[in-house]
Amino acid sequence: MMNLLALLVDRAKPLTLRQVRQELGKQYPESDEAARAAFERDKAALREMGIPIETKTLGGDAAGEVTYWVNRSNYELSDLRLTEPERDALQLAVATVHLGAQHGEEALWKLGGERHLKKSSMSVNIGLVDQNMGTITDAVMKRRTLNFEYKGESRQVDPYGMLSRGGFWYIIGYDHLRRDQRVFRVDRIEGRVVAGEARAFKAPENFEVAAAVPTEKQMLAAGDGEITTATVLVDAALAPGVRREFGESFVVREREDGGVEFAIPCANLGAFRQWLFAMVESAEVLSPPEIRDQVVQWLEELATGA
Amino acid sequence: MATKKKSNSRRKAAKPKAGKSRRVKSRKTQKAGRKTAGRRSAKKPSTGRSRRGPRSAAQRVSGLLVMLPWIMQRKRVKISTMARQFNLSETELIEDLQMAAVCGVPPYTPDALIDVYMDNGMVIAEVPLVFSRPLKLSTAELFAVTVMAQAAMQLPGADKKGPLATALAKLAPLMPSGAETIKVQLPKTRFVKELLAAVNSGERQEIEYFSPATQKRTNRVITARKVFEDSGRWYVAADDHLSGEDRVFRVDRIESLAGTEIFDQLREVRDDELPWFSESLQQVTLRVQKSARWIVESYPYVSRVDNADSSVDVTMSITSTHWLGRLLVRAGNNVKVLKPSEFKSLKAQTAKAVLARYQAASPQA
Repeated sequence: MMNLLALLVDRAKPLTLRQVRQELGKQYPESDEAARAAFERDKAALREMGIPIETKTLGGDAAGEVTYWVNRSNYELSDLRLTEPERDALQLAVATVHLGAQHGEEALWKLGGERHLKKSSMSVNIGLVDQNMGTITDAVMKRRTLNFEYKGESRQVDPYGMLSRGGFWYIIGYDHLRRDQRVFRVDRIEGRVVAGEARAFKAPENFEVAAAVPTEKQMLAAGDGEITTATVLVDAALAPGVRREFGESFVVREREDGGVEFAIPCANLGAFRQWLFAMVESAEVLSPPEIRDQVVQWLEELATGA
Repeated sequence: MATKKKSNSRRKAAKPKAGKSRRVKSRKTQKAGRKTAGRRSAKKPSTGRSRRGPRSAAQRVSGLLVMLPWIMQRKRVKISTMARQFNLSETELIEDLQMAAVCGVPPYTPDALIDVYMDNGMVIAEVPLVFSRPLKLSTAELFAVTVMAQAAMQLPGADKKGPLATALAKLAPLMPSGAETIKVQLPKTRFVKELLAAVNSGERQEIEYFSPATQKRTNRVITARKVFEDSGRWYVAADDHLSGEDRVFRVDRIESLAGTEIFDQLREVRDDELPWFSESLQQVTLRVQKSARWIVESYPYVSRVDNADSSVDVTMSITSTHWLGRLLVRAGNNVKVLKPSEFKSLKAQTAKAVLARYQAASPQA
């Protein structure tokens, strides 16, 4: 395989399989059929590695014969002239940010760098381990349309961008089924993703990935409930955390015992319930009465249901 | 180049007959490869390329196409260093380099062959032009670089005009247009920078820490050993001088932090040594309906069984009864305790405790 590559790169002109076999001699089997099969295997493996083997079918006297060649400039990395400090910085980034996949290290080697073998005092985990991740990232980078099952429906999505936040990867794109922009969580895709042709669409101008995925705070407000805000008392132990999460503008009143009353969005009642009950007995809805009654009803169901 | 080490007896002698070069030796089973990363759960098994078992000829060739330009830049590298660098055993590396040594361009005169040999624990190589430049970066590799660089630029001490930034600028022309809309957001949590400084200085820190398991705030003195981010949260692994154990703390639950001017000896903690849980933990098995799948996604678990009706039976270690009660109330009717039996009524008990608050207090109190 290495010799085939060397040959195709070294000989300036395209070669037919017959010529390749002449050059490589006994490296290919004697029988035409077996030699063809071995050659096809090698060719496929080299293409898989990112080496573009070009082909052309000849006309005239040699009609039907195919020639093969490799253009070095199509697969070789040009010298980026990275300095030592630049390589070191990339090395440290690769050592610190774990992807659960080796592509980072492989990129580093190609750039002439080395794996950082020392332990680092800090690390970040950004998982790329989902079975569909390779297909999806390739589609985003090359603007391919994706087809996948999501919440029991077949979706066709032009992936405008991707976001890693809070331990999850999101795809933001145009959903042909809904005819609107939608957000999908990669780990919630059902089954395999299939990608179409490259350059199938354009992302909107000045597309802001981070702004397209709602935060938890925005999720609480993103519902169709008629009541949009509830006053929630949070006890002293948990109040600082809620305050940091939502910010000063959500504070209604501070109590002497350290408890704080917050005005919390609740248009999305399901999300509100989950947020509220995470604090169990350390938080209480004070008003409006409709929401307070709803919370009491939920608790009564849980207390008797079990 | 062929004259340099002619006398060396370990040199691969005559260039081989072409027919032999396609032979791939059978391989011994490799000892276990890289340690699995210190992931806190089984939910994200590392799917990095496994080095176990025989590697295909294609895998070996694709590895060589990366290694040859790399060794070309260096000319001489220790076998052990190079093997470690590429996650190979020394035997594997030697076998691969032996394979490379019979490759080249017909008619296979010495100057057209990859000239690589091992001498006294060193790899020495001259590579013909054909193999001297690395392959272009694949889309997957470009994506990995984008993601890692973005994350690294958000870490404390990142220099927006430093070498990482300039390296990325040099890589930018290689990126497909879609790379611009790939973003990584790390959580912004206060004290990360201070804790990182404490890891590097060894200075003990006095912290006020809120534990949701006990619903209590404690003051404790810790020696921080490693700061890390996982699944959207920052953690610090530390010697906890209050309990006398190694513990992992969530940085967003640290309410205050102050240096003590007491310095401990520096100690490194590997990812796979992180003390996620203390020993005395109880396990619980829950049946989780599809709409409460966030439980399986958000918390570490020991094992999971997917049922035909799309519910999941998940066994997890719990940090406290209070923590489990909170989880059960949050998930409501979408979760049920299967075992142990002592927790089967915990959801109702917890709900009653919260309900008591609503019944006792008038809302305007």
